[in-house]
Amino acid sequence: MNDLFAPSDVSWTPVSKNLAALRRLNVGIVLGLLAIAGLVVLGLTVGWLYGVLAVVLAALVFGWAWVLIGRNQRSWKYAEREDELLVSHGVMFRELVVVPYGRMQFVDVAAGPLERAFGMATVELHTATPATDAKIPGLHPDEAARLRDRLSALGQAQAWGL
Amino acid sequence: MTEPTAPPQASQPQPPHAPQPSDALHAQTPQASQAVIEKTGDRLHPLTPFVKGWGYFVVAAVAMANNESLRSNLKIAGIGLLAVLVGGILLGALSWWFTKWQLTDDAIRVDSGFLFRRTRIIRFDRIQTIDVAQPFVARLFGMAELRMDVAGGGKNDGKLSYFSEADATKLRGTLLLRAKGELAAAQQELHHEEAPPLLVVPTGRLLGATLLSSTVLASAAALIWLIVTTMVFEFHVGLFAGLPLLLGVVQPIWKQVVGNHGFTLSETHDGLRTKRGLFDVQRQTVPPGRVQGLLITEPLIWRLIGWSRVDLDIAGVAGSKADGEEEHEGAQLLPVGQRTQVAAVLKRVLPGTDLAAIEMHRAPERVKWLRPIGWRYLSYGVDGQVLVTTRGWVSRRTSIVLHHKTQSVRLQQGPLQRRLGLANVHVDTPQGPTDAVALHREVGEAAQLVEAQADRAREARRTTSSPAPVHTQPNPPSPDGSSSSAASPADDSSAR
Repeated sequence: MNDLFAPSDVSWTPVSKNLAALRRLNVGIVLGLLAIAGLVVLGLTVGWLYGVLAVVLAALVFGWAWVLIGRNQRSWKYAEREDELLVSHGVMFRELVVVPYGRMQFVDVAAGPLERAFGMATVELHTATPATDAKIPGLHPDEAARLRDRLSALGQAQAWGL
Repeated sequence: MTEPTAPPQASQPQPPHAPQPSDALHAQTPQASQAVIEKTGDRLHPLTPFVKGWGYFVVAAVAMANNESLRSNLKIAGIGLLAVLVGGILLGALSWWFTKWQLTDDAIRVDSGFLFRRTRIIRFDRIQTIDVAQPFVARLFGMAELRMDVAGGGKNDGKLSYFSEADATKLRGTLLLRAKGELAAAQQELHHEEAPPLLVVPTGRLLGATLLSSTVLASAAALIWLIVTTMVFEFHVGLFAGLPLLLGVVQPIWKQVVGNHGFTLSETHDGLRTKRGLFDVQRQTVPPGRVQGLLITEPLIWRLIGWSRVDLDIAGVAGSKADGEEEHEGAQLLPVGQRTQVAAVLKRVLPGTDLAAIEMHRAPERVKWLRPIGWRYLSYGVDGQVLVTTRGWVSRRTSIVLHHKTQSVRLQQGPLQRRLGLANVHVDTPQGPTDAVALHREVGEAAQLVEAQADRAREARRTTSSPAPVHTQPNPPSPDGSSSSAASPADDSSAR
């Protein structure tokens, strides 16, 4: 099955493990806040037993999310072929995007405060159609810069009119 | 543009072309037609402020008439209206006075604004299409506006209004000439004005087609059901639901019959031209090299009669999606036509491709678990030039994508599909009606198709005689960077 979304004739680069850490942190913050709110509200209104149950539930969800996020992080990968960029991701809903460099209109490199704290950046390749979803999260900033420069160089060298 | 073919004739300083009969007469002679071309800072038609602002006056008048306290005191109302009128005319006149356009060597330049000066320069080689449009009021005064589509620009970005109709047509000719570079002026004129229509869609068929289209039928059926239930069971709540349904019946009919009234398709030197509209005549040129994809739609009942609709993706046209409702369908090539007509039109747009000859591959039978009825109609086919996909059993949609216009290829699979060993293949084109998806293919086949399509796209890009990669791009990776090369003459020749 894996071959389908990751043809083996190219070398695939995985994304940073920190991506999973970052997402776990995000989910953890949200679930933690929910758990505390649940504990306090249920504890004061219904009974502390239910409040504790809410916390346990939140912990279970967090555990599940932990696993899912790990799997999802491992599914993200990209490859640079001679003429195309390949991005593959997803576990339940899988997707493989093949974008010719010459179709590139512009490249975005973005990094939010948390992403920066984890030493990551996101590179997104835009073509003339919004349907093209060539986004690579969780790149090391150096790798992101390298990819950006390489993509724009290749994009210009192979540029093709609409 | 490198070679302005029209000789600059700045020797004839014309006054800002007043709407005098003499001007219209001059328009016939070739010399006058070129005098329009090269002048420094021309004003638009002097009636422009009035045509632009008429709605403003009407609104002011209606507001006055509706205001109870003002109506009782007609004097104040009159003075108020007068003040609004005078103020409006003054503002309009000021804006008209300060708006000037001119053609430079490689661009059209528009200066406007009296408080905040603004200069807009549109390079000829960035212009995707140029249309002459006549909104209703403008048509009453024999005026027209010029709409230039610039890839990535909004609807109003390339608008220049208003000119007298003759001037607008002439200017359009000139701009096309500059944008294309090589065509001789005389030829151009000839081809513009006297191209015999390839086909005209009769209003009766437009009306019939709309009445038989799926949305109208569904809305009408729902409406009838609603009226019956309301009458018989006195179920009054339903009446509120009737309004959107009524809209669903009336709006498409209005849009089709009025918007596409007298739809005429003709072939000119610079591509196919369409002309349509009852009140608001719209003209559009489809340069052959600029077609990104096609969509043929056949609603259920149309199929029985053998009718279908053809829409096009054109670079730059669909870009105005965000701010206009009218424009977002890309370009209509044929609002409704018989099979032979559709085939003839396709032949012009895609020479060398015969849809009927392409072998279509059906989706495997187990897709029926996901699409009980529709699975029979899912198919795709490939030939040397295009990829074709069909889907839909109520309204059949056939999408056609040219290999060398393929933007990206995507392979998708959801959990249910994985269970069944199926996957989708998307072939993306710039935004527009075309939506080529080979839905629910066998996984192995899908993977192959992705690879093969990527290869085909690469091959097509290489083999189609191309504009040299980087030539006229001063600022490389901008949203409309690569579209400039599409507007170059090289691409035009490659499309033939």
